[in-house]
Amino acid sequence: MKHVSSNIEVTGEAQVRVPTRRALAKQQTRAKVLAAARRLFSESGYEGATIRDIAAEAGMSTGAVFANFTDKSDLFREIMVADMEALVDAMRDGVARGRGVDDTLLKLFVAGYAFYKSRLPLARAAFGISWMPEQGQELRDLAPVQILQELFTEQLNLGVERGELSQEAEVKLRSQMLFDCYLANFQEAIFGGWSLEALQAKSKDQIRVILAGARRG
Amino acid sequence: MSVRKSQKEATRQRVLDAARELFETKGFDATTVREIASMAAVSVGSVFTTFSSKSDILSQVMADRLDALYAELDRLVPHLRGSTPDRLRSIFAIHYAFETRRTRLFLAHIAAAYNWTLTPSSRPYGRNQRLRLVIRDCLTEGVTRGDVDPATDLEIVVDALMASYAWTYRLAAWEDADAETMSKVMDRHIGLIASGFRPPTPANQ
Repeated sequence: MKHVSSNIEVTGEAQVRVPTRRALAKQQTRAKVLAAARRLFSESGYEGATIRDIAAEAGMSTGAVFANFTDKSDLFREIMVADMEALVDAMRDGVARGRGVDDTLLKLFVAGYAFYKSRLPLARAAFGISWMPEQGQELRDLAPVQILQELFTEQLNLGVERGELSQEAEVKLRSQMLFDCYLANFQEAIFGGWSLEALQAKSKDQIRVILAGARRG
Repeated sequence: MSVRKSQKEATRQRVLDAARELFETKGFDATTVREIASMAAVSVGSVFTTFSSKSDILSQVMADRLDALYAELDRLVPHLRGSTPDRLRSIFAIHYAFETRRTRLFLAHIAAAYNWTLTPSSRPYGRNQRLRLVIRDCLTEGVTRGDVDPATDLEIVVDALMASYAWTYRLAAWEDADAETMSKVMDRHIGLIASGFRPPTPANQ
C-alpha cells in the first residue's frame, strides 16, 4: 500500500523542530506535570493520586493540567511510554553484551529488574492497572510494550538459527512463558524486597527450565 | 457461641454475601461500602466494626471462596489418574473453571494484590501458598512414580507453572476468555515445561 503515507503523525515532531517560545513553555509545563504525576503515582498509587493533587504538586491549577492532558489515564500512559522506551533501550544494551541464548535472555530479565529497582512503586501501580479491563488493554497495546515482548521472541529465534535450540522449539509459546516469568518475578521484587542478585538467580533457573525441552539432541 | 457473637457472625456473613454479589455485577471499583451495607441491610458503621476497608471485605470474600475451592480440590486430587502432566492439567483446569464462575470478582482480586490500601490481614492473589503446595506434591509424586526426573529442581518448575497460571488470566481480563480457552493455553505451557522434566530414557537420549 505505497500510497498510504507513513508520516501522518508529525504533529509532535513538528513542535520539536520549530521551538517557538510558546511551544517551549508548553513543553516545560508538560514535563513539570509529568514529573509531579510520577512522584504522586509512586507515593499513593494510581487510584490514590488525584488530578487535583498532581496539579498542586506541580504548582499549577487543575485547569492547566487539563489543558495538556485529557485525564489521569493519559498522564499515566505518557509516563509508561517514556519508561518502556527507556527500558527497551536498556534491554537492547543488555542483549548486545549477552553470549548464547540463555545468557542473552537472562540479560533481558535483569535489565528490566535493574531499570525498575528505583521505581518499584510505579511498577506496582502499573501492574494494578494492567488487570483492569480497558486500561489494561491500553497498556498492553502500547508500542514499546509490544517491542518488549518481541525482544524475547527475537532472542529465541536467534537461538534456533544458531542451532542452540531445536527447530521445533515452539518459539512463540516459549517466549510467552518467559515473559510470564519475567512479569511474575516482579512480585518478589515489589513485595519480597528481593535483591537484583536473587532475582537474577531465580530468572536463570526459570530460563533453564523453560528451555530444557528445546535443547538439541 | 454467645448471642452477641453469633449476631456478629451473621452480620459478617450478610456483608460478605452482599459484597460478593456487588463486586461481581458492578465491579469492585464501582461498588461503595454504603451500597454493600444497604444490600446487606446493616448500617455502614457495623460494616466497619467487622472490616477495616472495602479491600478487606474483598480479601475475606476471596478467602472464603478459596477455602471452598481447596476443599473441593483436596477431595478431587487423590482421584486424579494418568501422567504427571495430565494431573497438573486437571489441577489448573479445576482452578480456571472455579474462578471463572465469577470472573469479575476474581479479576478484582488480582488487581487488589497491587492495591495501596492493602491491610496486613488480607491474602492477596499470588501470595496464597496452597496451590504451590498442591503442585509441588503432584510433582513429588511424579518423581516417585518415575515420570519426573529426580534431578529436576521442583521449586523452579512450580515457579514457572505458577507464573504461567497467573498470567494466563490476562486472556480473561483483556479478551473475555473462558475457562476452557485458558485451560487449553495452560495445557500447552504444561506440556512444554514437562518436556524439560521428563526423565531421560535410552529412547530419547
